[in-house]
Amino acid sequence: MQLEERYTLKKSNPAVKVLVYILLVIWAFINIFPIYFMFTFSLKSNEEIFGENVVGLPREWLFSNYVSAMNTGNMGLYFVNSVLVTTVSIFISLAAAMMATYAITRIKWKGANFTNSFFMLGLTIPLQASIVPVYVILSKLHWLNHYSTLIIPYSAFTLSMSILICTGFMVDIPYDLDEAARIDGCGLWGTFGRIIVPLLKPAYATIGIYAFLQCWNEFMFANVFISDSAHRTLPVGIKALSGAYTTDWGPIGAALVIATFPTLIVYIFLCRKIQDSFIAGAVKG
Amino acid sequence: MKKRVISMVLAGVMALSLCACGGSAAEAPAPATEAPAAEEEAPAQEETEAEAPAAEEEAPAAEEASSEPITLNMWCIATESDSNRHSYEAAIADMQAAHPEVTLNWEAFENESYKTKIKAAVSADEMPDIFFTWSCAFLGDFVQAGKVYCLDDVYQNYKDELPVVMLGNSTYEGKHYGVPLTMNIVGLFANMDLLKEAGYDEIPGTYEDFIKCCDDLKAKGITPFGCAGKETWCVTEYLESIIEKSIGAEELNNVFVNGATWNNQGIAQAVDTFQEMIKKEYFDPAGIGLTNDEVKANFMAGKYAFYMNGTWNCADFAANEEFKDKVKVAEFPVIDSSKAKLGQLIGGPSDTLAVAASSPNAERAADYAMELGKLICHYGYLDGCGLPAWTPYGDTSSVNPLTQTVSEIVANADSMVLFGDTAMTADDAQVYLSYVDQVYGSAIDGAGFIEGLASDLR
Amino acid sequence: MWKVFDMADKKTIKRKTDFKKGLDIFLFLLPAILLFVGILIAPIAVSLYRSLQKWNGFSPGTFIGFKNYKDLFTSGSINWMTSLKNALIIAFFSVFVQLPFSLLLALLLGRKYKGERFFLTVYFMPVLISTVVIGQLWLKIYNPDYGILNRALAALGLADWQHVWVGDPKTALGSVVVPTIWQYVGYHMLLMYAGVKGVSPDLREAAMLDGATNWQVDRYVVIPVIKPIIRTSVIFAVTGSLKTYDLVRIITNAGPTHKTEVPSTLLEDMLFLRNRYGMGSTISVMLIILCFAFALAITAAFKEKEY
Repeated sequence: MQLEERYTLKKSNPAVKVLVYILLVIWAFINIFPIYFMFTFSLKSNEEIFGENVVGLPREWLFSNYVSAMNTGNMGLYFVNSVLVTTVSIFISLAAAMMATYAITRIKWKGANFTNSFFMLGLTIPLQASIVPVYVILSKLHWLNHYSTLIIPYSAFTLSMSILICTGFMVDIPYDLDEAARIDGCGLWGTFGRIIVPLLKPAYATIGIYAFLQCWNEFMFANVFISDSAHRTLPVGIKALSGAYTTDWGPIGAALVIATFPTLIVYIFLCRKIQDSFIAGAVKG
Repeated sequence: MKKRVISMVLAGVMALSLCACGGSAAEAPAPATEAPAAEEEAPAQEETEAEAPAAEEEAPAAEEASSEPITLNMWCIATESDSNRHSYEAAIADMQAAHPEVTLNWEAFENESYKTKIKAAVSADEMPDIFFTWSCAFLGDFVQAGKVYCLDDVYQNYKDELPVVMLGNSTYEGKHYGVPLTMNIVGLFANMDLLKEAGYDEIPGTYEDFIKCCDDLKAKGITPFGCAGKETWCVTEYLESIIEKSIGAEELNNVFVNGATWNNQGIAQAVDTFQEMIKKEYFDPAGIGLTNDEVKANFMAGKYAFYMNGTWNCADFAANEEFKDKVKVAEFPVIDSSKAKLGQLIGGPSDTLAVAASSPNAERAADYAMELGKLICHYGYLDGCGLPAWTPYGDTSSVNPLTQTVSEIVANADSMVLFGDTAMTADDAQVYLSYVDQVYGSAIDGAGFIEGLASDLR
Repeated sequence: MWKVFDMADKKTIKRKTDFKKGLDIFLFLLPAILLFVGILIAPIAVSLYRSLQKWNGFSPGTFIGFKNYKDLFTSGSINWMTSLKNALIIAFFSVFVQLPFSLLLALLLGRKYKGERFFLTVYFMPVLISTVVIGQLWLKIYNPDYGILNRALAALGLADWQHVWVGDPKTALGSVVVPTIWQYVGYHMLLMYAGVKGVSPDLREAAMLDGATNWQVDRYVVIPVIKPIIRTSVIFAVTGSLKTYDLVRIITNAGPTHKTEVPSTLLEDMLFLRNRYGMGSTISVMLIILCFAFALAITAAFKEKEY
């Protein structure tokens, strides 16, 4: 990272620079606005949300929206469930992807390319089409209404992408390291555990973000596969805040803030790390 | 007052001819034995007061099998913010007190996503013992696949409290499969403040006056109607009422459920009438891009004079302190009096509980669902969530005035045609909604509507 | 087929016995294979099978051969062609507007402007926000009465340009495309920015010393180096566009009159609303084939241009 500090802008035309800054700042404003919108939205009544006061600060700061979101919807529990399901899914997806990628990219065998293509097929599958078949499989296995009911499908659906990202990182690890490990007497598993896994650290963030985005907001599987509210996740819990013919949007906004702000805060704290790991993954592109 | 409402509803129920679903369903004749009870007010009251001991009497008969503790699962759509929530909670509390041996685990899901959920559950044979469903076609597909428990035996114990006409929408090939809860009709809600500005104290009763009223409102700069184009069912609330008041209930019902052709000039004309109203800008042009939540909020904020929608809105309107004194509800006026008349309504019992055939305790679940349905219906009526499909009992004087007006409309009803998208099979309903959508978007006219539906649906 | 992703120039690992190696490979792949076959491949197989049936989802199905496939392309009431056209339009804008813009931002930020990290962080935020919020926000922007867009037009004296944006067949698709594209600019930008930062500073300096301007450096040094990343982004953008779902459901709900139908909304309607599970399966098979075909085509296109 230090090397790049050496070059700086040369011949920069001040006018161009100002224009570029204006563009960057406007775009930044456009991207921050949703957060402001979400926050104020969560403190308003339906009357304000629908027309009286759409973008302004709330006239009446309805913190009661948060109370009702927490009380009626049991958001605390759903939040914990979501964290649990998402974390374990990311972990499984990551572990399975690293192992599979290792076998595909660093062990020479005939079917490696084919296996890789096979895994890439996963990027093409529409989620909706797998709801019923997966549901039938899970039901036959008496595997409904557990955390693992969601964890397993989530891991599977993020697997293709994880393998794709892992491949990018893994081919960058010098093969000499494998050789050296083998000379030291490590087997395939030893090499994997001692060399590859630690060196793949930068990949964790990239895969983690992708998998997080997939799992955290997933609604369709969670809606169908989980029928007891003890295992409900946030997206389903938030959806259940709307009634059949009437919806109080304020508490929904509050629930959305509860679901989103922790993510944003974690992201802001970790962003440097995340960005660096993205960069690390792309060094050789 | 209390007694009047009860007798009104009862009399209304007797007079109704409800559409029956499933082509071959037997039209259920109103049992003659109940008619006298409805005519005399006092016995009706007695009957309901005697209800409690009657329930006790039933208990020993069923007790042989039912003292054993069991757990029943139930799914419904009464989420925490749904207006039906309270009636479910109250009914379930009553049931738990009356049947401590039954543990009910119930879960509520959001309306739209519940449709996906319950269908997937039926496919995978993972239905709970008792589940919420919509009557007619929605339930019909499950019945046809043999997934629903037949309630004929259990119904015998409840036939005095649940008029058989109310089962029409959940009767297939002569057999009953559903416990109706509350029922709703399409109501014409009016903001009387705005009507007064245009010089009207009442909702006009005839079509000519009604149109004149719309013109007067326009002249005052008030938009007569709001209708959510993003949710097509909201458009059908208007269109179906207009069609019914043009061609009559019987003809419309024949088209919806009995296989009569869509190629009906009367329907084409009614569609043109509707589009004429759009052309005259009676409708808020912005409505086409709005959701029902937004339109309803606009109506309550005084942006529209009229709002046609289900009578489930009564509870909401009545609960709003500022708004409740401004709003009135009425029936849409008759357009062609040679074919249609007042008292022909759109609506009927749609919310239903059903029992899964796969339930290990199906028989007891059926009994439980019946009793629970009765209670939900009772509390739902008191809350103003809809009209009772079951014979009302107890003190109903606390029902809000809007719902009471609706009861009176229903009491004087001549016949009811169920909402088109509920009455038709799932696939047909979507095709139908897509045509309704095009009508509201003025992409096709009446002739295009009937021709398209005639060729796509039959 | 997907060789391109497998850029490893593999070196032979000292052989143990073939059996031991085979077993190890198998064990390494086992978790992934189990997940993959159980959750992803089985449903494809089921979809293929069901796509040849007329089946409502609950009753026994009847085998009808390829009739669903034929109907899909010939029956106007199914709207498949509209949905496909819309998906391709979204894909087009995604590739030719979203990605170039992401690239522009990545290149600009790669030049070490002050506050680079801040911009980077902020631009990625929409990706983290739930689609429900994004959808609601844009609905407020488009709202015909109090929407920001119509108000801005009125303020600029362009009241004639006002529309019922999501309800007007002419503007509905556009009003879906804009937020869809906007939301993921940050994601692609971060991927590309990572690539830009990965370009060796020496390469840059050398080019600068030769008198190249910033733009020339970007054009002739940076872009060729990050080409593989651009290719990956294009594949995501296209397959993602073909599977667009969330924002369409919230913003236009596939209306007005199915003008903004996309394959995923159609798929869901067939499976769960219209009880035409057979037809729904046909659509999902078509979607899988399309996504795969596009991914192959894009890979091939990039290969040709590489040299």
